[in-house]
Amino acid sequence: MKVVECKNLTKQYGRVKAVNDLTFTLAENKITGLVGRNGAGKTTLLKMIAGYLHHNSGNIQVFSENPFNNLKVSANTIFIDNSMSFSPALTLGQLLETAGEFYVNWDKNLANRLFKYFSLNPDQSHVNLSKGNKSTFNMIIGLAAHCPLTIFDEPTSGMDAGTRKDFYRALLKDYIAHPRTIILSSHLLEEIEDILEDILLIKNGEKLLHISVAELKEYAIGITGKTDRINQWLSNRERIFTHEIGNDDSYVVIKNECSSSELEEAREIGMRISQVSTEDICMHLTSKSKGGIDHVFSRG
Amino acid sequence: MWYVGGDVRLILNSDSMKPIYVQIAEWLETEILIQAIQCDEKIYSQYQLAEMFNINPATAAKGINILAEENVLYKKRGLGMFVATDARHIILNKRKNTKLRAMVNELAKEAVQLQVNEEELVEMIRGMHQKLKGDQK
Amino acid sequence: MSLVEVNSWDIVKKQYRYKLKSYLGVFSSLIIIQVLAIFFSLNGTGMSGGSSGTFSYKVNYYSGDLILVFMMLWGFITAIIITTKAYRYDDTSFVTNRLTSHFSNILFLISASLFAGLTVFLSSHLFRLITNIMNVDSIMVNEHTPLQIAKGIIGAGLYIFLFTSIGYLVGMLIQKNKLFSFFLPIVLVGAMYLDGMNNDVLIFHSISLYFLSETLLSLLIIKIMSVSLLFYGFAIILSARMEVRA
Repeated sequence: MKVVECKNLTKQYGRVKAVNDLTFTLAENKITGLVGRNGAGKTTLLKMIAGYLHHNSGNIQVFSENPFNNLKVSANTIFIDNSMSFSPALTLGQLLETAGEFYVNWDKNLANRLFKYFSLNPDQSHVNLSKGNKSTFNMIIGLAAHCPLTIFDEPTSGMDAGTRKDFYRALLKDYIAHPRTIILSSHLLEEIEDILEDILLIKNGEKLLHISVAELKEYAIGITGKTDRINQWLSNRERIFTHEIGNDDSYVVIKNECSSSELEEAREIGMRISQVSTEDICMHLTSKSKGGIDHVFSRG
Repeated sequence: MWYVGGDVRLILNSDSMKPIYVQIAEWLETEILIQAIQCDEKIYSQYQLAEMFNINPATAAKGINILAEENVLYKKRGLGMFVATDARHIILNKRKNTKLRAMVNELAKEAVQLQVNEEELVEMIRGMHQKLKGDQK
Repeated sequence: MSLVEVNSWDIVKKQYRYKLKSYLGVFSSLIIIQVLAIFFSLNGTGMSGGSSGTFSYKVNYYSGDLILVFMMLWGFITAIIITTKAYRYDDTSFVTNRLTSHFSNILFLISASLFAGLTVFLSSHLFRLITNIMNVDSIMVNEHTPLQIAKGIIGAGLYIFLFTSIGYLVGMLIQKNKLFSFFLPIVLVGAMYLDGMNNDVLIFHSISLYFLSETLLSLLIIKIMSVSLLFYGFAIILSARMEVRA
């Protein structure tokens, strides 16, 4: 079953296209990472999926229905981000109870255990929580709701390293026990890639890649060596990223499409081949120019 | 060597050249080689592996599938994956032919670069090999 | 994971319960305003505030009227507050759509209005008691039967509810476009001014009379409910394409 289906989805703010001609589908019970730079359109996309925003053109279907202002989608989806607001009149304990009333699959036991584990105070009000604790509380609601579509938009902002780790582990364990469709957005890909199955990489509201993490790991290779030799060997191959080291050395990232004999040949002429981390691949693919930040400082 | 179920936590090397699922496959191979898992014994499920290594179950499944394709594991309908009778043999052969060969290749290259001659290199290997064997006894 | 089927009415009920608990601040402002109203009424001179030439409520007939006027204003402002982002977004943290959110708001405002109506009755009694103690000469008139009391509470509640509907519509207009918060007071004051200049037909006066002269409770209910629901309906239509956390 397709949980989310977007076709040529576009969302405009004035003349700026926050989401531009996006086409993809998310299959049931997968954890997908939504990755992109700041302002790439991640949050706008997630809010359209959650039914908060309407689109300008194209088509979006969640559980085969238009999600905007849709009660069925709302009941089966939970959208967790750090601007979630709760009434300041209710304590955290009361908020958990309320969440339990609204979400049919609510796992009260899990909610209470997590709440205790993270030493939250049930008599406190949501507005008085620190940024990190707010994220932690929201995350507990997101997990315990057991919604068939669970969306976390930058869920760990403000959390310390230990809490982040705990959260991702809790997410994975709960997912294994109760498989469901999860979308996780983050700019810290390194932190989440192990628990992801697929990655959706976007840039300027457009889709760059939608592949499995395993494929992404082998998507590109890095080559280091003398600039002129590299240029010769690469000839017309498309470069994802180029970085000059000193006067005549270069580090170039290319798509991993070379045969093993070609790579062997490259090694023979003194080039070093290295793997590129998924984080770096995404960074290079989404960077504004092929030379990265160095390009800004180069004269000429 | 026996593991206490559920508490095995091996830290996967995410900087390694190897994809996680290959590391999973190699870890399982090692478990079979050291006979932590016996022949015809049931191997960890993708979910157990996912929990143990904190990875997506699909990635864990991919690791299991590699071994199934190499006939190290076989499937019993509705019961899961089991270790093949000749699993150790297959793994040892594979490692000899790929891993060890590649390492020797690297070693030889380095030796050439450092201008270490053949006898010297072989002597180094022999010495190291004997030392390790001696340690094991 | 199998999908959950939902029923709108069920969600409205849950939201209504949630709002009764979480909009507590609304009731504390009610108490404060009532105390203020009683205080103003006790000054005696404060009574004249009701008749500024254009607004000729029959404030002087009935000693508790100022309290009712204050409560109508309270209803108006409370409804505006409920339409603001902070309140609307609280709904979206749980299961909702625009319609269930509106219905639970309306249910909440009906309850709040009736509660306010009850407190108007209670505090006007309190007020009369206080004046009675203060002015030894005065005589307490109007002995009420329980039925009359009930009618009085419902009537007061209805007037307050009418004002919540106006507030809700005004609030929604402002949410739609901030310019309304600037524009609407000008239109209102301007209209009242023009209305006052024209000595023949006082529109505001006749509108007030249309409701205030109604002696039959059942007709009053029909009159007020139909007008309020019209305002609410309009507010709902206005918000149909409104986005959340845009």
